[in-house]
Amino acid sequence: MDVRMNQGHLLLAVTLIVCNSQLLVVANSWWSLAMNPIQRPEMYIIGAQPLCSQLTGLSQGQRKLCQLYQDHMVYIGEGAKTGIKECQYQFRQRRWNCSTVDNTSVFGRVMHIGSRETAFTYAVSAAGVVNAVSRACREGELSTCGCSRAARPRDLPRDWLWGGCGDNVNYGYRFAREFVDAREREKNYPRGSVEHARTLMNLQNNEAGRMAVYNLANVACKCHGVSGSCSLKTCWLQLADFRRVGEFLKEKYDSAAAMRINRRGKLELVNNRFNPPTGEDLVYIDPSPDYCLRNETTGSLGTQGRLCNKTSEGMDGCELMCCGRGYDQFKTYKHERCHCKFHWCCYVKCKRCTSLVDQFVCK
Amino acid sequence: MAGAIIENMSTKKLVILGVILMLFQAFSFMVGGLIAPSPTAAVSYLATKCVDNEKTHHKNPKWFTPWGPDQCSKIKDFDEAMVKKIEANNIVFAIHIPPPNTEMSTWFQFLLLILHFDIAFKIQNQIADGASITIDVRLAYRDDKLSEWTQMAHSVEQRKLSCNFTAAKTIENEGRLYDCDLLPFMELGSVAHKYYLLNVRLPVNERKKVNIGIGEINDMRLVGIHQNGGFTKVWFAMKTFLTPSVLIIMIWYWKRITQMTRPPVLLEKVIFALGISMTFINIPVEWFSVGFDWTWMLLFGDIRQGIFYAMLLSFWIIFCGEHLMDQTERNRFSVYWKQVIPIVFGSFCLFIFDMCERGVQLKNPFYSIWASDVGTELAMAFIIVAGICACLYFLFLCFMVFQVFRNISGKRSCLPAMTKARRLHYEGLIFRFKFLMLVTLACAAMTVIFFIISQVSEGHWLWGGHTVQVNSAFFTGIYGMWNLYVFALMFLYAPSHKRYGDEQSSADQAGNSGEDTQLTTTITHVDGPTEIYKMTGKEAQE
Repeated sequence: MDVRMNQGHLLLAVTLIVCNSQLLVVANSWWSLAMNPIQRPEMYIIGAQPLCSQLTGLSQGQRKLCQLYQDHMVYIGEGAKTGIKECQYQFRQRRWNCSTVDNTSVFGRVMHIGSRETAFTYAVSAAGVVNAVSRACREGELSTCGCSRAARPRDLPRDWLWGGCGDNVNYGYRFAREFVDAREREKNYPRGSVEHARTLMNLQNNEAGRMAVYNLANVACKCHGVSGSCSLKTCWLQLADFRRVGEFLKEKYDSAAAMRINRRGKLELVNNRFNPPTGEDLVYIDPSPDYCLRNETTGSLGTQGRLCNKTSEGMDGCELMCCGRGYDQFKTYKHERCHCKFHWCCYVKCKRCTSLVDQFVCK
Repeated sequence: MAGAIIENMSTKKLVILGVILMLFQAFSFMVGGLIAPSPTAAVSYLATKCVDNEKTHHKNPKWFTPWGPDQCSKIKDFDEAMVKKIEANNIVFAIHIPPPNTEMSTWFQFLLLILHFDIAFKIQNQIADGASITIDVRLAYRDDKLSEWTQMAHSVEQRKLSCNFTAAKTIENEGRLYDCDLLPFMELGSVAHKYYLLNVRLPVNERKKVNIGIGEINDMRLVGIHQNGGFTKVWFAMKTFLTPSVLIIMIWYWKRITQMTRPPVLLEKVIFALGISMTFINIPVEWFSVGFDWTWMLLFGDIRQGIFYAMLLSFWIIFCGEHLMDQTERNRFSVYWKQVIPIVFGSFCLFIFDMCERGVQLKNPFYSIWASDVGTELAMAFIIVAGICACLYFLFLCFMVFQVFRNISGKRSCLPAMTKARRLHYEGLIFRFKFLMLVTLACAAMTVIFFIISQVSEGHWLWGGHTVQVNSAFFTGIYGMWNLYVFALMFLYAPSHKRYGDEQSSADQAGNSGEDTQLTTTITHVDGPTEIYKMTGKEAQE
């Protein structure tokens, strides 16, 4: 009896430890920077500690980076926010709609599963950071960005007077790599373990997201030689609209590769018939949970109460969205702004039009 | 051009000279590729949206700085402005050049700004057809971080928005950005100050239809292009080194010509003129631009380049003409008016175009000839005319080269029948011509090839751990090449001290002396016609 009790305790303890460690693996809550607005960094310049220790969800390495690059934190938060917004836009018609749950874990327990959706979320938020840091860099908001020689990431181009600045997309990419990957890199799991697999998956997806921003940035050029001839031409990188990045990553989501970890501690394809993924592809290690029903253990919120489209046959159609449970029909008044008159900034004069529309909600 | 050095030089010496020139050529490429950074650098800026709370914003200009100690009150986006009920006329886009922790320098030589708007698609608020945007812009400078800003220029400019929307214009795609063309914004011919500040407003006036129908502007972006300080230094060093070398050979060349008993012929004068125009480009007056605020340096540089190109093109025409061997009297500049006119006219068109653009920019740095419809048409007209002139020129040149080659093959067949001296004379002409043709072709091919490489490549290559700046190598290499070309031309085509045909005809020199003198006079064209006409007559008889 005692022995059994002991075994039971042991089992419980083991499960607890496993659960705990799993929580540690997946709590990627630097995303929470998107949720709690960070005050302007100027206020924290003298007392370096408060800001970084107040921020929840940062790992050890990320906290160090926070102390070194305090002014970047606002933009990391902004980047995470753009990423989440884009995720919600891309998945607005899917069963899993990228909804956020609370402030600390952001997406809830769904992220504990190394699914396709998780892969997309990591990629899009990493992309958001590259985007936001590059943008802040162009705005002159970051003191270490690009040109200055003090405390900048390694191997940026030569001195400003001699050879100009490195471009800010490159800076954004590098900084995002340092910061976002810090969490994964500081962990040390045994080779070939499940946690190791998850770390590798996260690293790959983060990189895919960052590369998406970098690769979609297009090169713009200007000729300015003698009499406007093209003997002198200067080119620079121009960031793409973030919507395009989102779309690109959504395509990568659709073609994401299922992986498993091999004995050498590397990720390999589950199905060898497919081509191995490149650095720009998304990978996942677990099958997606059932998003139809609310499930506390997986963290799925279910589709109950979601709006659906009666006529559509796609994922947003009531048949698929409600997982065959049926739907309720409502008639509501929809208020819209119409006959508007705009100026480029800050001036809109609209009428209010009201129309009666049918709405369908999943049971 | 009796007995130019090239004809009397032994093959061995010629090869040695060729090798030395090649070494210098390789060196000039390497200077650009390995030492110099890329010629220009582009820095992207994103305008900060500042709010002007004062109502009297037109009276005393207040300067809005985007960052630093006394920065303006900012808004993040225009939704925020909408909530706060801020009017368009109170929004100031502020751009500080350069980015934080850096300063501009006179070594940057010029500053070019390009404007780009991020305009979001809104189904209710689309960009009207042919919309143009009115920009009220002020430029200020200061030389240390604490002093007041001093206004440099103020202007109200119009730019045409040419944007298209690639996705379908549905409500789904709201918020996506238009694809807009880059707009030329500003050009400074000298960067004499450390810090620059731009304050831009987009005033809205409904009655006058100012800035109506320009869509929903989210952001204003600028790209600043300047020459890299490192490139400027390498470039100046190169010019400083080249000036005395070309100058010395030029003086030596002219001395040789004046030492002769006869007056110089046209070809010799043209070569000398080419040397002068090369020296004119070489003289490193740009050193002054480091110390003085000379905004016209950019225009001056263009003019110098233009003069050199015009001179080079004229030289080729005259060189071909003088080696035509069709026995008509030339040796006068006026003979070539037909061929030279396209050059002069074309260069003149480009000069006018340049004056319209860069000349006006001396007064108003925001001026762009491409901004207005009339200006665009005018500019296009100038460029097209210049293009037509270039085509005409190349037709003439090709025709002349063809003629020379036809004559050469004609002469070749009757070379053995001629007396030794005359044969040598013709062989000399043919050799001289063919040599220059070969070298010119090689130079032109190099220029074209390197131009293409520098346009196609991404600007730098990695080569055994070194970054090779392809663009810089192109500039220094090509510049060095044409200098060497002019240098070699003056050296090789200078009159030789050895008497013509000395080595070959030393055995029967005594007997042939009469013909020898005749020959020299023939070539100098002074009283050549008699001899030439005799010969043509002979040929005709045959």
